Amino acid sequence: MASTVDFRTLVDQSCRYSDEFVNIYYDCIDKRRRNLTRLYLDKATLVWNGNAVTGRDALSEFFESLPSKQATQGQTTLLVVTAGSVKFDGNKQRYFNQNFLLTAQASPNSDQPVWKIASDCFRFQDWAN
Amino acid sequence: MATADDSRYYSEHDDRVGGPKHRNRKGRGPFRAPLYSDQISRPRHRGGHGGGGGGPGPRSRLQDDDGDVTMVEGPQDSGAQRRFNPYGRPQNRRENRKGGRGGGGGGGNDDRGGNRYGVRGGGAGGGSDGSRKNWFKMTIPFGKKYDKDWLLSSLQSVCSMPFHAVHYHTDGNKAQFYVEDSTTANALFKVSRKITDKDGYKVTVIMNSCPPPALIHTDLKAADLEHLKQCMAKRFDGSQQALDLNNIRVDPDLVSQNIEVTLNRRNSMLAVIKIIEENIPELICLNLSNNRLYRLDDLADIVNKVPNLKILNLSHNELKTERELDKLKGLKLVELSLEGNPLSGHYKNQADYVSAVRERFPKLLKLDGHVLPPPIGFDLEVAPATLPPCKASYFCSEEIKNIILCFLQQYYSIYDSGDRQPLLDAYHDGAAFSLSIPFTLQNASKSSLGEYQKDCRNIRRMKDDPTTRFRLIKHTRLNVVAFLNELPKTQHDIASLIVDVNTYTATLLAFTVSGVFKENGKSRDSFRAFSRVFIAVPAGNAGLCIVNDELFVRNATTEEIRRAFVAPAPTPSSSPVPTLSAPQQEMLAAFSLMSGMNLEWSQKCLQDNDWDFDRAAQIFTGLKAQGKIPDVAFVK
Repeated sequence: MASTVDFRTLVDQSCRYSDEFVNIYYDCIDKRRRNLTRLYLDKATLVWNGNAVTGRDALSEFFESLPSKQATQGQTTLLVVTAGSVKFDGNKQRYFNQNFLLTAQASPNSDQPVWKIASDCFRFQDWAN
Repeated sequence: MATADDSRYYSEHDDRVGGPKHRNRKGRGPFRAPLYSDQISRPRHRGGHGGGGGGPGPRSRLQDDDGDVTMVEGPQDSGAQRRFNPYGRPQNRRENRKGGRGGGGGGGNDDRGGNRYGVRGGGAGGGSDGSRKNWFKMTIPFGKKYDKDWLLSSLQSVCSMPFHAVHYHTDGNKAQFYVEDSTTANALFKVSRKITDKDGYKVTVIMNSCPPPALIHTDLKAADLEHLKQCMAKRFDGSQQALDLNNIRVDPDLVSQNIEVTLNRRNSMLAVIKIIEENIPELICLNLSNNRLYRLDDLADIVNKVPNLKILNLSHNELKTERELDKLKGLKLVELSLEGNPLSGHYKNQADYVSAVRERFPKLLKLDGHVLPPPIGFDLEVAPATLPPCKASYFCSEEIKNIILCFLQQYYSIYDSGDRQPLLDAYHDGAAFSLSIPFTLQNASKSSLGEYQKDCRNIRRMKDDPTTRFRLIKHTRLNVVAFLNELPKTQHDIASLIVDVNTYTATLLAFTVSGVFKENGKSRDSFRAFSRVFIAVPAGNAGLCIVNDELFVRNATTEEIRRAFVAPAPTPSSSPVPTLSAPQQEMLAAFSLMSGMNLEWSQKCLQDNDWDFDRAAQIFTGLKAQGKIPDVAFVK
């Protein structure tokens, strides 16, 4: 089990990454949705109010629901939990809870590993209405 | 009437009433601001005013009405010049201001206010039919921060003469008002820097002579509004939902009633918008051409009040820059006309012009009468008009469903039992836990989620506080469970739980549980709703070991409360239902949830299996696979 010192460092790092991620993700989802899928692993899963969406193609369409397993073998993983409100065009504003599992992956575009969303779980607080 | 020369602005005095040449511009071109030297050389503030306003730099003067000379060589119908002074010099002045000196804090108040359309022709409909009042504009730099009453009474207390502040308003940082004669103005000027405000600054008073704010733009009287409404009604085409306000000020109906509707004045524009909003809010097409509009600030409300507006004609006005269009952003215009405005001349080529306009109105199809080539862009807003329907739990597979439900049933029966210590077995040695509450309640001094507030770990608010950020994570299972034990006693409605499985691999299972629970409080019970993320690794046989646990708590909505803890409906079957213990009830609810059977049948199954959840589950699954369970068992 990691010693407290290491853990503390992990906590700090996690916070920094999470903060950055949250900014990027929500900015992307609002403004550059086409690029959003690039944040996900090839086989990431999205559970959206009980609708599961997996795979980049499906994700980019946002409607398919083909659950599949993904491989995240012992990689550095970060859990980010968010809550807030969102207004989709033509709908009213609603509160939501969302959480992400991010894993670090090697990237072809840079020397450093990049965070990728392995799973994304989103639910309106008033989904039952 | 050559007197205190301040009156030189009035036509009686000035025979050059015809036009711009009023001022000695030295032919510097229409948009050049007058040089400071010009100002000084002018005998404006003579006549015993001590240079009127000593201190102020060029700026303050230039801001003043008088300051501006530049006039647009626009279509000034000199014939009307006398009668309709508003169009005599007005906006130009403003433009000038913008162009010339960056506005200097915006002396532009005049637009709203009042006097600028000062009656030059001295005969204009306005009030000053040549009455020889000398008007002065008093400026208090940084006066905006003062309470008007304090300021005026403080000034009055040290001023040797009583004064009446006309049209007090603020503009940028300044406070301004008008007074009616030179003696008063002088007296006020003399008290400059005699008053110290509460921050220790001295209150400065600047005076500038100015044309009389004769046409003080009070709002149109009710009777006039009625006439205006009728006039507009005549100009409204219901079949097209179109309103034509082209050159409205010369409309005979208004002129005959002596009603001044000059749309480049704020209150006229606001009155018109109000009439539209109240009578024809679905307006689609609006023509505002030939109204000497030099700015669109006053038109901005139309974006919200007339949301269907698609066709707008602003041609032949005085709009100098496309930035004016920013004020109308949000209008979903399909057609726009801007020709005959100074701004049209700014563009080197048509493409730049079109794209500048389209930046504000992306859906525009026709500009200045020309059909536009279809816009090329990246349309990122492909938001689905309807959202996908919301569903209940997503378990990914039956196997996982069983694992999770079993886990939850055990977890929450301990969690609700009053002693959460046994949960130690559920957590990994190195487990971590944190909790958060809704943002809006994080600041509330007396938050209804008070007990959770101090442990709320919202890292967005702790960017500069890594210590707290660290402290609020409960690390190691001992700490986690110790903390959980401190949280209020709860009672969860297992039947209400919704589970979303985020991730499922051989080594990791992450799922989100949401639902409702009741807190048994001292005075009363509170209902909370929660969303909790568990990350677990496999343990034992079909067991889970929690590695990460993040809890989000909020107050339940009335709807949620209403739906929660709904008692099972009495079943028609006659066998009396023996009273169940709390753990049994929880198990029953979980079993019902998992199997899909109604409570009666679930209970039967459990009872037959001695309340052994796993065994009952196995039996159930087996029977179901064999098709031996009647449909009625699933009827809730």
